[in-house]
Amino acid sequence: MMKWNKVPLSRIVQVLFLLVFLVLFVRTEYRGHDQITVAVNSFFRADPLLAACYLLAEKSFTMLLLPAALLAFFTLVLGRFFCGWICPLGTILDLVTARIRKTAPLKFLQGNMKYWLLLPLLGAALFNVNLAGVFDPIAILVRALTFSLYPIVGDTVRQGWVGLYRVMGEGRDALAPAYTVIRDNLLPFRETFYPLAFVSLLLFLGIIFLERYETRAWCRRLCPLGTLLGILARFSLFRRTPGTLCADCGDCRSVCPTSFDEETLQQDACIRCMACCLRCRFRRVGCRFAGLGGAGPYLPERRVLLGGLLSGFLLARLFRFRLPDAQARVLRPPGVRSEGEFLKQCVRCGECMKVCLKNALYPALFQAGLEGVFTPMLIPRLGYCEYNCTLCGQVCPTGAIPDLPVETKKHEVIGKAVLDRNHCLPYARRVNCIVCEEHCPIPSKAIRAETEKIAGEDGQPIILRKPYVVAELCTGCGICENVCPIEGKSAIEVFAVKDRDPLVDPGGWSIP
Amino acid sequence: MERRTFLKILGLSSLFGTGMLPSLFAAEGPVVGVAEGREYEKITVRAIGALGGMKRFVKPGDTVVVKPNIGWDRRPEQGANTHPLVVRAVAAEALAAGAKKVKVFDRPCNDARRCYVNSGMEAALKGMKGVELKHIEDERFRMVKLNGRSLREWELYDEALSADVFINVPVAKHHGLTGLTLGLKNIMGVMGGNRGSVHRHIDGALADINAVLKSRLTIIDATRILTAHGPQGGDRGDVKILNKVIASTDIVAADAFATTLFGLKPEHISTTVAAYRRGLGEMNISRMRIVRA
Repeated sequence: MMKWNKVPLSRIVQVLFLLVFLVLFVRTEYRGHDQITVAVNSFFRADPLLAACYLLAEKSFTMLLLPAALLAFFTLVLGRFFCGWICPLGTILDLVTARIRKTAPLKFLQGNMKYWLLLPLLGAALFNVNLAGVFDPIAILVRALTFSLYPIVGDTVRQGWVGLYRVMGEGRDALAPAYTVIRDNLLPFRETFYPLAFVSLLLFLGIIFLERYETRAWCRRLCPLGTLLGILARFSLFRRTPGTLCADCGDCRSVCPTSFDEETLQQDACIRCMACCLRCRFRRVGCRFAGLGGAGPYLPERRVLLGGLLSGFLLARLFRFRLPDAQARVLRPPGVRSEGEFLKQCVRCGECMKVCLKNALYPALFQAGLEGVFTPMLIPRLGYCEYNCTLCGQVCPTGAIPDLPVETKKHEVIGKAVLDRNHCLPYARRVNCIVCEEHCPIPSKAIRAETEKIAGEDGQPIILRKPYVVAELCTGCGICENVCPIEGKSAIEVFAVKDRDPLVDPGGWSIP
Repeated sequence: MERRTFLKILGLSSLFGTGMLPSLFAAEGPVVGVAEGREYEKITVRAIGALGGMKRFVKPGDTVVVKPNIGWDRRPEQGANTHPLVVRAVAAEALAAGAKKVKVFDRPCNDARRCYVNSGMEAALKGMKGVELKHIEDERFRMVKLNGRSLREWELYDEALSADVFINVPVAKHHGLTGLTLGLKNIMGVMGGNRGSVHRHIDGALADINAVLKSRLTIIDATRILTAHGPQGGDRGDVKILNKVIASTDIVAADAFATTLFGLKPEHISTTVAAYRRGLGEMNISRMRIVRA
């Protein structure tokens, strides 16, 4: 067991950041206020990998990425301190690794493998497909939480609560205050299950599984964010000395979690946890500002660099195929006007899906082509876009979903509703309904109804209200499709449209 | 009046006694309390007072359910939800009459959390001891045999069914299908399942449910009414300020009277007509006793 005075300061800071991360994650939810002041996007905004991919894809800067630029700068000075002090995924690995018995390191992961992961991501971004989040450590963690762990926790607690009702009936009310506090502050409001939940969890568990080969295997062998920071860290001024193992000791080899798989310290792998300084028996090892130099051999080699970028090009171009049928139903969050721009900016972190008030957003499987995997899309039959809600734009770290004032957002077009008269009750079965009209949030109604007097089965006259869509007023929020009382396929469905120019003052619109 | 005249009239009136009997009853028909004023809590209390006060309905120790319309993510001035001050006054009256607990809930159409906040309900009821603004929990719906003409059975909310006193507090507003939505339609807020599917025979369905889940008291918020683009509106231009609250123990009478505020006749609203024909209450204004409080 580690003694308390031997607990490095970095570990304490790590745990604090992990807690902050988890608190922010839970707070990335509607908790009674239209605005979310802090959300887990703070971590993404400080993420240089996402920033780099954004820059390459957009070829322009946004102030949203300033924290990431700062982190990159500090990495130049201090090295990969982010990995050893802040990264929540790294912290989780550090906390569990002692319980995982190690075998030998995996050969094929060593050497250039990490560049083969990082460079194609950067290359693809350069060619306008931003895949950064697919392998970004924080995004992997957020997605595992959002799509898998959080829903499981929420559902399990909820089922337990329902179970109590079955046993206690209204007697359960005595416990309600305690449950309400938990529900309002910790749990998801309603149970949602996501596609790719299993894949998201598997990616996370896979990273933990790698710990059986060596400590921080993911961080030193694969993590594209760590690799990117490592490239910067090679030049860092602050580093450990001496730069090699001492001939008479060699303890550092076992103390160091990342960097001493050779005699020389791997500058780009050192996470500045300072465990070596703290545990040196001879007090020889120090971490200090040591001036320039010691960048080590140039990596990656040219063939890896070129190969990586070429793979990125192929990645960006080969997976663009989209099935038209699926594509027609790819509805992007409100404010996203162009699919091309969206693919450049969306880092697939999963935050919008976490925060979505009505659980309308889900990660795309292949509906948007392989290039669109994990990007958010609205599935109206499961949830609709709430008229007064702007949460997804607020938490999007890159502005792929713009953060719009609510009055502007209400005019943004997601798609257009289309009525299917073969299913719609008043048309197909001559009975009244217009639940869609009732729910349409546009004040002057994008769904209206005309009245027709018909003779009913029993000869009595029936006044039938037949709905129709005023496309010029429809934002495609999807509430009509969501509430259509027909079982199975809805009689009104939202389809994607290319022209997503916002509505022109829906309030003042008059249709004869 | 001289005694002789008095006796004459008394004697003569007995001749008409039998023939006049129905109309005598009508005069004693449902009381509809109508209060007007800018202070919504006060007029709510006055409207209830016109019926004899809340003590007539709520006994000490009772569990009271107040069912407002909190269906939409709209602000109070948009007229889509019951005004929070009206609800607050009803809850306060119930507490003052000795209620052990007052539960307030609705099954909203928009996100429940946003509706509760944006409607002003959460703020208005905050800090009232014994009053709970609750979210609907699916497991509490239970299948109830209605044996009605349109619905044989439907899932209804257990807390509404088990309440000692169920008080229906709708807002008066336009509705695309039923013309208006008032007390009878407000009952949809305690229906579970795919409730939109009852729209195909909504008049009968609402009569069926209201026949089983009876509103002891119906208090209609007409402080402002939504005259078009209901039931959720959104355009302030559709909202008309009336500063009125209507109360009755007869849900059909309350609905019928509120209908006149829109310049419509009760017989224009088919849900009202269906409930009247089913014997759930009175819809002829002339047979009600309107008490301006």
